[in-house]
Amino acid sequence: MKAIIAATIIGVIMMFASILSNNKSGIVSLATVLFFFLFGINIWEVYESINATGVAAPAYLNNMMSLDSFAIWFSMLMSGCALLYILLLGKEIAKVGKHVGEYFALIAFIMVGIYLLAGYSNMLMLFIGIEILSIPQYILAGSDKRNLKSTEASLKYFLMGSFSTGILLMGIAMLYGATGSFDIINFRMLQTDALNPLALSGILFLIIGLGFKVSAAPMHMWTPDVYDGSPTPFTAFMSTIVKAGVFVAFLRLFHASFGNLTNHWMMIVAVITATTLFIGNITAVFQQSVKRMLAYSSIAQAGFMLFAILSVNATAWQGIVIYAVAYSVATIGMFAVLIKLKDYTYDGFNGLAKKEPALAFFTTIFLMSLAGIPLTGGFMAKYFVLLAAVQQGQVMWLVIFALIMAAVSVYYYFKVIIAMYFKTGEAELNHEVTGYDKLMLGITCLLVILIGLMPQLLLNL
Amino acid sequence: MMLTLLLLIPLIAGILSFFLKGEGVKILALLSTLATLVLSGFVSYEILVAGLSGTNNTLDFSMPWIPQLGTEFSLHADGMSAMLCLLTGIVMPVIIIANWNKEVERPWSFYGLMLLSQAGITGVFLAYDALLFYAFWELALIPVYFLCSQWGGEKRIAVTFKFFVYTFVGSLMMLAALIYLSTLNPGANSYSWANITHAGASLAPETQSWVFWMIFIAFAIKLPIFPFHTWQPDTYEQSPTPVTIILSALMVKMGMFAVLRWLFPMVPQGVAFWSNTVIILSIIGIVYASFLAIVQTDLKRLIAYSSIAHMGLMCAAAFSNTQMGMHGLMVQMFNHGINITGMWLIVSMVENRYGTRDMTKLGGMATAAPQMAIALAIISFANIALPLTNGFIGEFMLFNGIFQSASAYNIVFMAVAGLGIILGAVYTLNMVQKTAFGNTTPMLISKDMTTNESLAMALIVVLVIFLGVYPKPLLELTQSVAQMMVP
Amino acid sequence: MNEISLNHYLFVSCALFFIGVYGFLTRRNLITMLMAIELILNSININFIVFNKFLFPDKLDGLFFTIFIITIAAAEAAVAIAIIINLYRNYKTIDVEETNTMKF
Repeated sequence: MKAIIAATIIGVIMMFASILSNNKSGIVSLATVLFFFLFGINIWEVYESINATGVAAPAYLNNMMSLDSFAIWFSMLMSGCALLYILLLGKEIAKVGKHVGEYFALIAFIMVGIYLLAGYSNMLMLFIGIEILSIPQYILAGSDKRNLKSTEASLKYFLMGSFSTGILLMGIAMLYGATGSFDIINFRMLQTDALNPLALSGILFLIIGLGFKVSAAPMHMWTPDVYDGSPTPFTAFMSTIVKAGVFVAFLRLFHASFGNLTNHWMMIVAVITATTLFIGNITAVFQQSVKRMLAYSSIAQAGFMLFAILSVNATAWQGIVIYAVAYSVATIGMFAVLIKLKDYTYDGFNGLAKKEPALAFFTTIFLMSLAGIPLTGGFMAKYFVLLAAVQQGQVMWLVIFALIMAAVSVYYYFKVIIAMYFKTGEAELNHEVTGYDKLMLGITCLLVILIGLMPQLLLNL
Repeated sequence: MMLTLLLLIPLIAGILSFFLKGEGVKILALLSTLATLVLSGFVSYEILVAGLSGTNNTLDFSMPWIPQLGTEFSLHADGMSAMLCLLTGIVMPVIIIANWNKEVERPWSFYGLMLLSQAGITGVFLAYDALLFYAFWELALIPVYFLCSQWGGEKRIAVTFKFFVYTFVGSLMMLAALIYLSTLNPGANSYSWANITHAGASLAPETQSWVFWMIFIAFAIKLPIFPFHTWQPDTYEQSPTPVTIILSALMVKMGMFAVLRWLFPMVPQGVAFWSNTVIILSIIGIVYASFLAIVQTDLKRLIAYSSIAHMGLMCAAAFSNTQMGMHGLMVQMFNHGINITGMWLIVSMVENRYGTRDMTKLGGMATAAPQMAIALAIISFANIALPLTNGFIGEFMLFNGIFQSASAYNIVFMAVAGLGIILGAVYTLNMVQKTAFGNTTPMLISKDMTTNESLAMALIVVLVIFLGVYPKPLLELTQSVAQMMVP
Repeated sequence: MNEISLNHYLFVSCALFFIGVYGFLTRRNLITMLMAIELILNSININFIVFNKFLFPDKLDGLFFTIFIITIAAAEAAVAIAIIINLYRNYKTIDVEETNTMKF
């Protein structure tokens, strides 16, 4: 709860800062300090929750939030990722437009949404969390106001986002009609009652609504355009931390409320997962631009995260945490490299290894993590979600399909590596890579490898 | 502890190499590979002595790694792994010595990647935990991928990428099977060799028969046996010779080793069910590869196909399920590694001197460079398993094993595999004749072996002859493993 | 019989919802699409209120949820109008078909 309040206050402070000051680098430094502060508060909360073992998870806001140890731990990790994001890309955010402080304010508000989604226990909080998370994103997507692509991205995002919110709300309304409650714990009564068709269609609507938000196929149509059109620093944020937050909401709802109804929704989610993996990976192969490829790869990675939803067991929770962090860290790192290049196509990477060996090396590690090569975070992430699915036992075919798709993903990730190392050319950079950039990328890279070597560090549940 | 050192020395030296410039890298690489040679020799010696005195002849090391996943960092060396580590320990310094005078672009990353791949390969031979094994299996591949793609021939990028994707798909299937097996036996060390083989062996026979293929495809691609071999000749041809040596002398052994260490105990009934199929595939591979080898004119491609034929024979013997075959297989793994290293060294010398690998344009090496011609002859004799060379004892035992196998078609198998040996003699001697004799082709650099090349070559030739005359140490080193595999 | 029952309300809400979805999918004018989304949200509001009134009259959960939806829909509309104005400045049109700078 402290983190939610702190993030809100940080957002307000940043808004005022943008009114009071025009000094861009000052605002970036202020934001960095404040996000450090936020991360500190998260750690404090984690510390408290560890000390309070045995005590029931405290409930806030009239029992609408239950900040159990998972919620607090996950919030802490996401704040960590957000801090890393600001440290890596803060300067780039300042270059997007004039209103730098507001971008940071919006990011802080999105963090509030993520905290709400990590610990909600009432559908109202789910709805509010998703909206707090979405509305700032519409603005961030369109923040490069003179750029046609950015405007278009923001428009598409808004249209699809609000439409999916409508569908999500319809699902909530139907569940309310069936159970008379918004409390996700009370939905469990569905498990004993003779199943109400209203509740079943509610679950279906929820799957579609949340599927839109996590860009699961066939509800993914907005994703490539939005991620491609948005200013790159914000794409990095939207496709990683935000998506992970929505996934946790998805997981919480389907495990806590509908966990025993798997025979009703398992097949639907399994088919969605297979479609997502297929469309994400196969379409990514044909992209010319690395940024667009990363957009499709984000769909593909969402396919893997859907495995956590499918397999209703404890490993799935561990899997989603590791996946969220490993994927976020590697993708943010990848975007931090991408943004330094002039040309976002594969050819833009040609010969980067000769020009900037360190940068090329870091990119290689990030891409290997995304492709799931052992001893990088991405491998452990994929491993955990697939392990969860194998333990669950009903979707072996899907696991094998996912592995084949993982092999396909190697193709497009390694195309970047091939361009960097084995093709000749002059990769043009936007500006000099400073020592600070290298240091931060190096830390990110170490994190990726650390997660790959010791994923248990993320599992303090 | 020694096993950990065996891993850590190349790993640390490899990482250090990236930060060094100039000549220092070469020296570092040589020192670290010599250190691993000494260390692996020592490990082998200890295991050999312990085996002779009848005490526990394995070395083990383990520490917790990720208990939540049921995996631990556990290493294990018995006679077979020690022998293969020793092979790695011999081949790596030989490569470095033989290439001492050759200039490579960006030596720091070349030698660094070589050492990292050595670490990965050693890890595969030592890992005693399935997930650790899987990690090393992939890690050995990545440096090799970068080596081939940066320093290879013209078509290297596409070819190497094909190779990479092939092996990656195979190992992903293996990963699925391993995850499945580990969930059968949840606990703090569900991936340990004992637990995972127990889990696999207690599966129903029908389940074992599909788990078998999921795992075997990964190994079959590495080996490579017949329908999975298409990456191999291209990759060998396009890779720089030092990397080709790593690929053919060491990485191929990874596949064979993995079959013996993991596949056989893990799905015994699956193996029994499919063994005839695999033997037939292997034998098709022997004959097919031998015929293709006959029509090759490029030396590298010829040796690549000959390697497929040899691996086919080993694989057939492995699946014949006899103690003799198994024992011969282990010895032959070592000998094949030594022979093919020698073969590639000669090819790289020839390419260096004549500027081509095309046999039709070569000739007269016996007069122009007699030392090279002699070395080529000795290695070729070993390659076709002439008595008193190291190839003989291994292949003899392999054939014996296939003959003794319980399969109804053992005579047919043996006869067809024997045809492969005859064809092997045809193409190998043809190669010797075309390169060493005949019209003298002018050399670009007319020089016989340089000191460093002679040193590397001498080491190989001495081993070829020594192990041909006195193979006892190798046989004794691996005896207990063979006895354990086929009681 | 003369009483207006739950089903009558649900028919209205259902009709509104699908009119909204139809409008969203067929209309190309942005303002109309925005209105379609508002229709969807309003149909949901009706749902919440009638469920509350007819099925669970002892608590006010549904009513409160409606208030939240109305509030957030207003916030969303504000952002939407800003986006549409910005779009109009750049493209001189508010037809979605015209906004197609990004293709495969």
